[in-house]
Amino acid sequence: MGCCCNDKASDLSLLEPVLEHYKGINGSLIAILQQAQEIYGYLPVDVIYHIAEETGVAPAKVMGVATFYTQFRLKPVGKYLIMLCQGTACHVNGSELIAAAIKDELGIVDGETTDDGLFSLKHVACLGCCSLSPVMMINGETYGSLTPDKTKTILRELREKAGAES
Amino acid sequence: MKIVVGEGSCGLAAGAGKVHAKLDELFAAANPSGSVVTITSCIGMCFLEPIVDLYDGDALVRRLVHVTDADAQKIYDAVNSNDLSLVDDITITAEDASFLEQQTRIALRNCGIINPMSIDEYIARGGYEALKKILTTGMTQDDVINEIDKSGLKGRGGAGFSTAFKWRAAKSSEGEEKYLICNADEGDPGAFMDRAVIEGDPHTLIEGMLIGAYAIGAKEAIVYVRAEYPLAIVRLENAIKDATDRGFLGDNILGSNFSCKMRIKAGAGAFVCGEETALIESLEGKRGMPRLKPPFPAQSGFWFKPSNINNVETYANVAWIIANGGDAFAAMGTAESKGTKVFALTGKIKRGGLVEIPMGKTLREVIYDIGGGIRNDKEFKAVQLGGPSGGCIPASLLDTVIDYKALGATGAIMGSGGMVVMDETTCMVGMAKFFLDFTAKESCGKCVHCRIGTKRMLEILGRIVDGEGEEGDIEKLEELCNAIKDGALCGLGQTAPNPVLTTIRYFRPEMEAHISEKRCPAGECVKLITYSIDESKCIGCSLCAKKCPANAISGEVKSPFKIDADKCIKCGNCKTVCRQGAIIVK
Amino acid sequence: MSIKYTIDGVEVIAEDGETILSSATRAGVEIPTLCFAENTAIYGACGVCVVEVEGVPKLLRSCSAKPMEGYVVHTDTPRVIRARKTAFELLLSDHTGDCRGPCKLHCPAGTDCQKYVNEIKDGKYFEAVSTVYEAFPLPASIGRVCPHPCEDACRRQLVEEPISIAFLKAFAADKVLASDNRYKIETGADTGKKVAIIGGGPAGLTAAYKLREYGHAVTIFDQQPKMGGMLRYGIPEYRLPKAVLDDEISIIADAGVAMKNNCKLGRDIQFDELVKTYDAVLVAIGAWTSVPMRVAGEDLPGVIGGIDFLGKLGLGETPTIGKRVAVCGGGNTAMDACRTAIRLGAEEVYVVYRRTRNEMPAADIEIEEAEEEGVIFKFLTNPIEITQDGDALNMKLQIMELGEPDASGRRSPVPVEGKTEDIKLDNVIMAIGQVANCAGVDGVELTKKGTILCDEMTFRTNIENVFAAGDVTNKGAGIAIAAIGEASKAAFCINNFLDGAEVRYKAPYFVETEKTAEDFEDREKIDRAEMPGLSPEERKNNFKPIYFGFSEEQAKKEASRCLECGCHDYYDCRLIKYANWYDVEPAKFPGMKHHRDFIEIADVIEHNPDKCVLCGLCYRTCEEVAKKTFIGLYNRGFNTTINPMFPKAEAAAYCATCGKCVDACPTGAMRKKF
Repeated sequence: MGCCCNDKASDLSLLEPVLEHYKGINGSLIAILQQAQEIYGYLPVDVIYHIAEETGVAPAKVMGVATFYTQFRLKPVGKYLIMLCQGTACHVNGSELIAAAIKDELGIVDGETTDDGLFSLKHVACLGCCSLSPVMMINGETYGSLTPDKTKTILRELREKAGAES
Repeated sequence: MKIVVGEGSCGLAAGAGKVHAKLDELFAAANPSGSVVTITSCIGMCFLEPIVDLYDGDALVRRLVHVTDADAQKIYDAVNSNDLSLVDDITITAEDASFLEQQTRIALRNCGIINPMSIDEYIARGGYEALKKILTTGMTQDDVINEIDKSGLKGRGGAGFSTAFKWRAAKSSEGEEKYLICNADEGDPGAFMDRAVIEGDPHTLIEGMLIGAYAIGAKEAIVYVRAEYPLAIVRLENAIKDATDRGFLGDNILGSNFSCKMRIKAGAGAFVCGEETALIESLEGKRGMPRLKPPFPAQSGFWFKPSNINNVETYANVAWIIANGGDAFAAMGTAESKGTKVFALTGKIKRGGLVEIPMGKTLREVIYDIGGGIRNDKEFKAVQLGGPSGGCIPASLLDTVIDYKALGATGAIMGSGGMVVMDETTCMVGMAKFFLDFTAKESCGKCVHCRIGTKRMLEILGRIVDGEGEEGDIEKLEELCNAIKDGALCGLGQTAPNPVLTTIRYFRPEMEAHISEKRCPAGECVKLITYSIDESKCIGCSLCAKKCPANAISGEVKSPFKIDADKCIKCGNCKTVCRQGAIIVK
Repeated sequence: MSIKYTIDGVEVIAEDGETILSSATRAGVEIPTLCFAENTAIYGACGVCVVEVEGVPKLLRSCSAKPMEGYVVHTDTPRVIRARKTAFELLLSDHTGDCRGPCKLHCPAGTDCQKYVNEIKDGKYFEAVSTVYEAFPLPASIGRVCPHPCEDACRRQLVEEPISIAFLKAFAADKVLASDNRYKIETGADTGKKVAIIGGGPAGLTAAYKLREYGHAVTIFDQQPKMGGMLRYGIPEYRLPKAVLDDEISIIADAGVAMKNNCKLGRDIQFDELVKTYDAVLVAIGAWTSVPMRVAGEDLPGVIGGIDFLGKLGLGETPTIGKRVAVCGGGNTAMDACRTAIRLGAEEVYVVYRRTRNEMPAADIEIEEAEEEGVIFKFLTNPIEITQDGDALNMKLQIMELGEPDASGRRSPVPVEGKTEDIKLDNVIMAIGQVANCAGVDGVELTKKGTILCDEMTFRTNIENVFAAGDVTNKGAGIAIAAIGEASKAAFCINNFLDGAEVRYKAPYFVETEKTAEDFEDREKIDRAEMPGLSPEERKNNFKPIYFGFSEEQAKKEASRCLECGCHDYYDCRLIKYANWYDVEPAKFPGMKHHRDFIEIADVIEHNPDKCVLCGLCYRTCEEVAKKTFIGLYNRGFNTTINPMFPKAEAAAYCATCGKCVDACPTGAMRKKF
């Protein structure tokens, strides 16, 4: 069983409007999970179970969907989610070097989160900014034409920003 | 004057948002010329982003490129003083402008020109005229399909199946309830044509889909958009709302008996959902695992009702065809392939971006004439078409014409339009591995051949690039390729061997060099290369040593440095920073 | 409307809507499939049901493809075979488990030890004996004397000690022999073919039994007065009571095997006669000649061959020996000889062996018991000369030490220069090995060693209808169960030969894994059952059987120690069936293999993901047949697994524990825990 990383109960009431909106609409599971992830930042196990109960989709099916699509996370992610593009153009233009730079700077590889909970790295399919390759997207913002140095600078700035905020 | 900022995803990524904000700020504070700042989407010249166009009425008077927020003041001054020479330094060169001039734009006809958030701008350029035509001139469903048939339009998603044939099949399937679906799950790594269309001209898609829905008799249309395209979703949502408000969508469209609603379904990250039956499963809220065909979606698709699925670019051509006639479309292209095709030209190319050309141009024309050739004037090595389902075409076949049959004969495919150019420094075995890595990760896991077969192929390729290849590996790969082509359940699996097969076909010596000589001729496979410093070129600036993360470089300033091969982690930092070209990779 | 088409030349009529797979199956053409079942929707995952249709460019999945009028379907074209075979090879490249336990795989006769051990655990003794008979006859005899390679391979020793497999077999066999319901051999329908077997030892008897099962007429010719070969004339009474052997031979005789004793080849019967008169001849004459030591004086009176010495007892004679006896050699025959010498009244019995105890080929228990009975072991000594010293013999021994390991991995003994020792003896028994004597086997090609040259996969000699098995072939003498294994395969080949089929025996393919002690860390340690028997004092003066046999309670408890390594689903597993069917090369696509924990589906059902082929039948059956949807797919691609819903507390609402998922599983990935 690949779930359950914290036993903290989630506030299921946050999900009510979503469940209400999709009530009776067949085939809405993915949309519900997407919105649940928007709310909670990831898909906590009790939320998944609640969705199963409310939609009448068997828990095994919900779990099957939640583990099929790369967008869904069963674990919380860091404050900054680095999505490193794995498209062909980025590959040809050195995305592996960027992955190495991220590892060098943060010590994390694909799928991992830094101990301080600040950064998570996820390799993603082509972001479609091929002419800016290599590219990464952090919390919705795209960073293009990366070099290892530029990448490290960006990460350091984010870390400083987070430090200043807290 | 109208100041138009190019705000496609790529423009925004390059900083268009900041430029726009700065311009807004300046023009909001004082605007003596009464100019407006607005947006458009990607014009396709991604290599020049951010782009700002200056219009006088409908006439484009200046195209400014590589604009930074620091240039905003200059633009403001130029516009308000009506002295455009102030922006000469950021104006596009004639050479770069030729990038667009050599294209024929149908699917992209409004992209980069209109504001995608404005239905009026779409209508002003003839938008929704085709829809009006079919609904008000008494065109029957068959008339529409026949017109499409006449155009020779084939599916632009990759497989190249006749659009009219599919529509006819869906139309003639029994059942009241039918669905029209747009596949905008553009997942090929290296392709962004569909995103550009939705971001740049969402109404074209809507209109094309409405015509299709009319033709097959669907009352509901769904656009399945990749999760990674948030901007496209926002613009399409806005367009659907506007179109509904104007009566182009909904009940009794334009007063006719035709009713159709449209909604967006966001994907959740699974390349396989580009396969139509997997897409249907995903639409139904399930794991995106392909269904067996037959039955085809035209007979039994979404909720097991007759459904038609085409991709974005296919629909983007439809309104034009109806408005201009199928013959006009068929007049372009080759005997085998009609009309135009959009390509996302990327990789080691000077001018990368979106290009739309008539079928029948050669690869060389696209890469050299439009794309300007290889970056840094290196040697062209190969062009990859069709992404993980396609293959690499070598220099010897650069004069191949772009047409489904001719490209298919090379072992690659037309594909959805990804065109990634590679130079001499790209290892073709590494490329094959890259694609297999992609397919293996994206395999849904349902059928044996794809689930385990692609994994095993990836492992063999991994060994080869690591210098652990063995004699017989190529034959083993070929055997797996053939078995997977025959045994895999869906298109993703059946075409997964293509990148490997074309690599074997055209770059076998390079593969053999990895296996027998443990050598990477392109100098890219980390385990097979060494870094050293050319003493005759090194000026002893010490930059490389400072940037070396492994402290593998040492030396006295102003005399040649040395790399300790035992410490070197082959990250390539030294090569990147060296301004003398003194780093040798072998 | 029905549709007529052909598949592999067979005309098939498909009902309206019927698929190629269903209609072909109905017509008796078997198409492999792992993921199709009649009661669930078509799924199409496994891809092994593909067929080729003339004029159709793609291979079709027959589980979903519907035939069209006049289709010409093939299931055996190279392209179909390649696609199917690759699918199986790929599946096996990520399939971890043990089709059969190491006990069975290491038994030269392929006896299903795990099965009979578990039958004994359940008190099903007749079934246990029947299980042994699937491999060979003589369970009570072999159970007593077998050096049991099965136990050497038994994984229970990773916990503490191996299961006492051999004695368990003897226990069950004794039980059944003593019961009213003795085992009866079922013979096949008479084929009209007749086979002559020369030699009535374990190999000859086994072949005779197997050939009778096939329905051939069998005659065994043996030079000795009674059947049994080395079991009778090589193994002393205290280890194998001859009454037990007689009992078991009578069961073979009852199956209609003609047994002709006192028939010596070349004297009473002529080999070429047999070759002419019988459809096939099996030579299984064993290795009955003691290997000479090649030392001066070995032809002196008082120096005797181990086989001759033991053989006399088998004939009911009592050989006369003196008070001081040395037995040369370190194998089981040497142990039998020295312990027999003790029983015949010798007071000083030496075992002379040129290596150390560690290198002795004899079973440990034999060495231990010999020591208990007073045998003196002279390790690292080698006889170099025997001389007459009055009434007595003097044997000069070279003192040895261990040098470098030889080809067999054993360290070779090398002489210590100038160091010797003399011992005074009445008799010397040579037990350093046995060789075949092929006199009378005319015209059959021999090896350099003087054994019969025969093909290891067909057991054929240079003469078309002559086969050979057991100690007389190729490498020469070995253990009884090895000879039995050869004989059983030889019988299979002879049957093929008589049938006009391809003669060759092909070892079936099994999935195997390596295990370490770590894999069994959680197991409770339970002592291996100790065999009750006579004390050294009670046994050294007589030939009474030294073991009493296990009590029922002991046997059941011992049997329950079995770790059940072999897959519970072996006989129903479609993967292994097809893998053998398509002659897979499972090592062809090596790569990452999963090693995952079992997944508890419900209290009574567990899932082994490493055996799962992801056919989806379990979860589809759960959803479509049981209407429960308790389990489903989890993850994707290479890492897809089957998983139950969660959290477990709610399981009862979803799982009916109906076991339909287990029944639907085509491999051993799903199992009921009790």
